[in-house]
Amino acid sequence: MTLSESSSVNHYNELVNQVYRNELFELVAVALQSQTAARQIKWRYAAGNQNEKFRKIVLRSGMGIAGLVIRTGKPFWCDRLNVYQLRDAMYTPIAKCESLTGAAAVPIMSPATRLVDGVLLAGFRNGQPVSNKTVQALSQYLLP
Amino acid sequence: MLATKDWLGQYFDHSTDAIFIFKDDALLVQNQMAKELEQELKVDPMYLLQVADTSVKQKYSQTNGCFNCIIQNKMTNLSVPLTLADDSTHPLHYFMVYSILDKTAHLFSITLKSRGTINRMDQLAQQRKLTRYVNRAHELERKRISADLHDSIAQGIYSAIIGIRRLRNADLSTEQLTALSNVIENQLDDTLKEVKGMALDIRPSVLDNFGLLPALKVLANRLEENSGITIEVAGKADTSVLSEDVQSVLYRIAQEAINNALKHANASEITVLLVNHQHFIILEIIDDGDGFDVPSHQSFNGRSLGLLNMSERVKALNGTFNIKSKLHDGTTVTAKFPVADLGRKQHV
Repeated sequence: MTLSESSSVNHYNELVNQVYRNELFELVAVALQSQTAARQIKWRYAAGNQNEKFRKIVLRSGMGIAGLVIRTGKPFWCDRLNVYQLRDAMYTPIAKCESLTGAAAVPIMSPATRLVDGVLLAGFRNGQPVSNKTVQALSQYLLP
Repeated sequence: MLATKDWLGQYFDHSTDAIFIFKDDALLVQNQMAKELEQELKVDPMYLLQVADTSVKQKYSQTNGCFNCIIQNKMTNLSVPLTLADDSTHPLHYFMVYSILDKTAHLFSITLKSRGTINRMDQLAQQRKLTRYVNRAHELERKRISADLHDSIAQGIYSAIIGIRRLRNADLSTEQLTALSNVIENQLDDTLKEVKGMALDIRPSVLDNFGLLPALKVLANRLEENSGITIEVAGKADTSVLSEDVQSVLYRIAQEAINNALKHANASEITVLLVNHQHFIILEIIDDGDGFDVPSHQSFNGRSLGLLNMSERVKALNGTFNIKSKLHDGTTVTAKFPVADLGRKQHV
């Protein structure tokens, strides 16, 4: 691990914990693109998780709310995540693993390349609605 | 009028059900089928009468507590399951229907309907449902592929084209150029992944080139990444001697069973086992999920025929298919095929 990678580890780990502490979300997670040739995007950090299943998930561009964030670089949110099944376009694996009912996801942009580098996702299990305001609140944490 | 009587007589005689008509306790008339039954199986009409009589008495008995039950007293017929020739190797199962034709004249009929025919009709109906389901599944699959091609592949390529057009813009700085070419590369990379994923979903080339076990491993890996659920593939099997049909069916069963477990079972671990023995090969998909009540899912539930379809595909190739499941106790799906050549090859 290089020095810059190690500092990013601390940074995102801290970010996840900070959002979890300050807001009412039941799960907060960050997915990042790996720098290896496969360039897989996986969930690296989570707070409030029920299990470790999320670590196995590889995000698919365009699939589910996190995938849509990666494809478009724009925030997404959804209140009915629990109705989607494997093979549905809006099926979001982490929502199923973590029994989320609603979640919002915002892109993490790399300042150097101005590309989507990852996703910050936060959600609820108790049916509490998410909205544009949730997205705005989340985006605040990513401001430089 | 006379002609009608003739037709009725013909219908009565040629009916596939055996019909006896009694007045009081004497046999009045019987059709051809009834005569054959009486001769060949030595069925005494008086015995049938007794069976009917006891059933009637049972139903209308005062001790049954329902003597004045309005609905039951209005019932003019009664059916009793009956097995004839039950000491032979092929017992015949019938439904005996007792119906009153004229209450005051004490006229009634006993009809024996073969349960074999009824079962056969049920089977045919089931088969038709299955054919309809398979056709619908085909169409749905095509619809899904078409939607995937349109929504993800075409969109990805289109975005890349737009990006390349922007590259022609002369005003871009070196830094902007690098950023933009990175975007385009990412888009094409995503599209490539989608194309590969789709090809794998439709028909895995690994199955044709490397065999069943590697194909199952690739499948498990892909579904694991897509769901977060641990899917282990273990086994020791030489599948090169299996016919392509058997390999495909085994692969599809594993796919369907894993998908079912992911969709409905809330499993946290799924294990796929493929083992060959000297004369058979066996595939097991075991999950530790919620489990379900198997009998209530065996027939058509109005939405999907997944289990029935799996079972039919296995049976069509002389295999056996089994699902063991209990509520809150996981599910095990097993498919087993006899293989003649496997042993021979091992001995050589």
